[in-house]
Formats: sequence, C-alpha cells, structure tokens
Amino acid sequence: MYFNASDVTSFMAQKEFIDTAIVPLVSVDLTPEKMKQSGTEADFLLSLTSFIEQQFKGRLLLMPPFSSSATLKNEDLPKQLEAQLHNAGFKHVFFITCDHFWTNIGEEVNVIWLPAIPLESMDRGVKNSILEDQLRQVIPMLSTKWAQI
Amino acid sequence: MSNNRVSRRQFLSYTLTGVGGFMAAGMLMPMLRFAIDPVLQSHAGGNFIKTEHKIADITEKPVKVDLKFEQVDAWYKSEVTNVAWVFKQGDQIVALSPVCKHLGCMVDWGSDSTHPDQFFCSCHGGRYEKNGNNVKGTPPLGPLDEYEVKEEDGYLSLGPIRANTLVK
Ligand code: FES
Repeated sequence: MYFNASDVTSFMAQKEFIDTAIVPLVSVDLTPEKMKQSGTEADFLLSLTSFIEQQFKGRLLLMPPFSSSATLKNEDLPKQLEAQLHNAGFKHVFFITCDHFWTNIGEEVNVIWLPAIPLESMDRGVKNSILEDQLRQVIPMLSTKWAQI
Repeated sequence: MSNNRVSRRQFLSYTLTGVGGFMAAGMLMPMLRFAIDPVLQSHAGGNFIKTEHKIADITEKPVKVDLKFEQVDAWYKSEVTNVAWVFKQGDQIVALSPVCKHLGCMVDWGSDSTHPDQFFCSCHGGRYEKNGNNVKGTPPLGPLDEYEVKEEDGYLSLGPIRANTLVK
C-alpha cells in the first residue's frame, strides 16, 4: 500500500493484515562531487521500495521517503518515527537506506542497508532483474521479523 | 442556345453549394473518424501485448511471463513490469494474474512446500488451486483473475484482464 488516501483507508480497515511499515531514508548531498551519486541513491531507493510495495502490497505500507541533508541528519528521527508508527498500529517498522550513517542505529531500529546500484543507464529488462535480485536480499530480513510475530 | 446558358445567379449558387459541400465534408469526416476510431481500434486488438514466449514452449507447469509496457500515471511514467502465470490446460493456454484477491500481493506457484501444486501468497498464506480457484479457509475471497490470450506469429500475446472463466 502507498501512503495515499485510498490505500490508507484500506490500512485502517485491515490493520491486522497490513502490519508493516517501510520507510525509505534518503540522504540528499548537494556538494558538487556527491550530488550525482546522491541522485543515483535516491532513484535506486525509490525504485526498489516501490518494487517491494508491488510484491507485498497487502502486507505493508510504504511511507513517503524521509529525506535529509548532511547537517539535518539526526539519529532521533528514525527512533521517534518508529515509536509513532507503532502507535499507529504497525507491528513491524523497517527503514531502508543506501546511507551508512543510519546503520549506527541498527541496534535499536530495523535498518536495511543496501548499496546503491546506478539504474539510470539500464534498459527496463536489466533494471527489473537487478531489482528482483535486490528484493531477494530484502525478503529474508522481512520474513525473519514476520515469523517472530 | 440561350436556354442552356447559366445565369450568374445559378453559377454562383452551384459553385457555392459545391464548395459548401466540400467544407461540410471536410469538417464532418474527421469528426466521424474520431467517433468511430476507438471502436475500430479495439477490434484491431490494440490492447494485446506480445510477450517473448513461444506458444510451443508452454507446458502444464505454470511459468512466470513478463509483460512489458509503459504506463503513464499523471506525470509519472512507471516502469512496473506486469507478470502472468502461464500454463497449458488441455489445448487451452491459460494466463492468470498474480495479484492476490485478498489485498493484492504477488502470488507464487508452488512456493508453499506443503502445497506444491497451488499458488501461494506469502503475505497472509492465501492459496489457490491451479485454475485460480481460491482455497476455502485461506484469506482470499475470490479466484485469481485471468488475461485474455492470443497467438501472434507463434508467440503468446496477452490482452486485458478479466474475471476468471475457468472456475465453475
Ligand atoms: S494478500 Fe494474499 S493472502 Fe493476503
């Protein structure tokens, strides 16, 4: 499900089934050397998360990306957000990112870190198989949590 | 001789009617075309998408077939590839939609080891028989949808999605 009016309505009605929230954490780097890489990361993360959404539409809600630049990064953000999502009825909350900064808090919240793959030069078929591969990396992390209930 | 002469008035009225006729036709023809074209197009099968799968290669075992097309939602051109589960039933080619009828996850063929001959939805354990019929007692409330199928030069083409026709 996406964070829009109609999907949120389904979530409200089906909380026992849609029990997982996925939050993309995007880092925006505006320095001339890193800006392009930052764009690659954002593109990859958003493509991958919407791919995950397509596979598990009925089980999870994909939140809009939370973005921050170097000086705005704050380790409290995911922690507080997680608490609020739990309050809203999500049993499982996952943060997904390409930025190592957030792996520091991996002990306290579920952080899935993946290396960004530049998708911009790929044709659709290749892109899809890359995303499928990446999805296969993510599934075990989701299913171990799901199995714990 | 003088009887056959065309007066200035007659000449004008003839030519104007003629020109007017052309003008009217010029306006009406495109309008008619616009009105009729969509009807003609759907008969021409414009909604079918050719896949890379040969009809001859399709067996009784369901396989995943990618369906690539560009879908433009508002300003965003999405690259989501649709898939279908394709298999042969008798001489009939069947293509089922993978979208679970419970809450919309993607189902998989045979991924539940205790039910290898069924479609399985890992989200909440929904199961379907091979023809798409939902197994009672699992969350889904209806059978999997079906694609219209067509053969094009030996390759499989998939059309619009419709309600399952195999489950009686
Ligand atoms: S979405 Fe398939 S069983 Fe719930």
